[in-house]
Amino acid sequence: MKFLTSLHILVIAFIISHDVKAKNQIVADLSQENVKITTDFLGAKILLFGAYDGQKGDDIIVVVTGPKGLVTVQKKEKVFGIWVNTKSVNYINTPKYLNISSNRDINKILNQKTQKISEIGLNNLKIRLQPGKKVQKEKEWREALTRNMLKSKLWSLNENSISLNKNALFRSYLSLPSNVITGQFEVKILHYRNSKLISKELSTINVSKSGVSAEIYNIAQNYSTLYGIFAVILAVLVGWGTNLIFRKV
Amino acid sequence: MYIYLPIAEQPIHSLAILGVGSFLGLIMGLVGVGGGFLLTPIMMFLGIPPPVAVASVANQLVAPSVSGVLSHWKRGNVDFKMGTVLLLGGVVGSSIGVVIFNFLGKIGQLDLVIKSSYVVFLTLIGSLMLSESLNLILRKRKGKVSRGKLHQHNWLHGLPFKTRFRKSKLYISVLLPIFIGIIVGILAALMGIGGGFIIVPAMIYLLGMPTSLVVGTSLFQIIFVAANTTILQASQNQTVDIVLASILLLGSVVGVQVGSRFTNILKGEYLRLILSTLIILVSLKLLTDLITIPSDIFSIIISR
Repeated sequence: MKFLTSLHILVIAFIISHDVKAKNQIVADLSQENVKITTDFLGAKILLFGAYDGQKGDDIIVVVTGPKGLVTVQKKEKVFGIWVNTKSVNYINTPKYLNISSNRDINKILNQKTQKISEIGLNNLKIRLQPGKKVQKEKEWREALTRNMLKSKLWSLNENSISLNKNALFRSYLSLPSNVITGQFEVKILHYRNSKLISKELSTINVSKSGVSAEIYNIAQNYSTLYGIFAVILAVLVGWGTNLIFRKV
Repeated sequence: MYIYLPIAEQPIHSLAILGVGSFLGLIMGLVGVGGGFLLTPIMMFLGIPPPVAVASVANQLVAPSVSGVLSHWKRGNVDFKMGTVLLLGGVVGSSIGVVIFNFLGKIGQLDLVIKSSYVVFLTLIGSLMLSESLNLILRKRKGKVSRGKLHQHNWLHGLPFKTRFRKSKLYISVLLPIFIGIIVGILAALMGIGGGFIIVPAMIYLLGMPTSLVVGTSLFQIIFVAANTTILQASQNQTVDIVLASILLLGSVVGVQVGSRFTNILKGEYLRLILSTLIILVSLKLLTDLITIPSDIFSIIISR
């Protein structure tokens, strides 16, 4: 299976690479566009591959952004000898998944200003504090957000992870951890030449729960009381059943 | 073999959970208590979010309790009248407990309250059990085993609404078991326990029930308290993970049966000695987590 897919990819890549050469553009595809979270889900690894009209010194940056929303940062302080969450700050518009990969150090590809404008880099995201809230030493909180998102593997920065092949083909792996959030993931593939963006390609990955695990989740959300009653009945039946079995032993 | 938990939203090794479930079922079968109050902290050590651990353990507790009551019933060791009075209090208490649980979740202090209640109760129960079993072992070595009165009378027995509990040979105020039920119910909902480790001593020392009836009767009331907690947690917080609970309960029901078969072989006081050491270890681990400086004083909550 693995061999087949890579062969398949190689063939497609070679065919498209001819087209690309002529038109000064980039084409890319993903090995998987729909990620299903089923009962045996342990995370997913997606191959991103494509062809570009490459010259020596060209660069590729891939930014994958998951659904955005509220992330709360909590701070612990020692109160009577115990570490207690005492303060919290809400960040809105925060991507719950972020993967930035490139073929070499991003600082060598783009200058700081360009990185900021094009929102490339962990510190250049347009993440805002909840409106109306002000925090002292905001930088400390923002750093804590980045550090913890990286630790949870939901954010990652993988410079030098994209391999370029003879200036025509490229490939990169994206890993989605097992605690990944469901929703639509936006994939941006950017092709730079001398720090100038010359072509880009957009794609999406859909992450959704599927099968038994999705059913259970939906029932627990939508028919919560019935779900609770069912959980109790199940436990009663198992308890009673084992008693019957063991009585005969 | 890993299995993805739909409510905890993370994969977990199913054999590890099955093993933990059977081990605690075994303890429960041997001693009559000790399902939930060790299971919930162990689930938290394994990385299950505390709210999901508490609610799912309440769910799984129903199964070994049903199984246990049935075997005690056969031997005539359940006082249904006392059990019913206790469970009325328990249902009220666990409903209050779920409300408190919700409130603590909203203000972001749920983890702290769950963990610190465990530290307090486990230390208390662990050291009481430890000293009692050590005392008993020492006394038996000296060869002095005295049999006291059936039970001690104190002011608690003088409260109004006196009722006769024939099976337990008691004539006491009905308010006392209701009150005990409420307190245990609150703790059960907050901590994901059946409350056996609180209600069993309370039944012996506060109510003065005969020891032979205590385990069966407490299991009887635990069924209803745990069932009420499960339904309320599911409907209000959506934190009951039925997959996690199912794996746990499969292990525990078998463990209980095996354990109850060995109760006559192993000496009770040695069993309690081992269990109390285990309880103290778990409580120490929780305490260390609370008082040692965290590797990062900042943490994040990603809203779903």
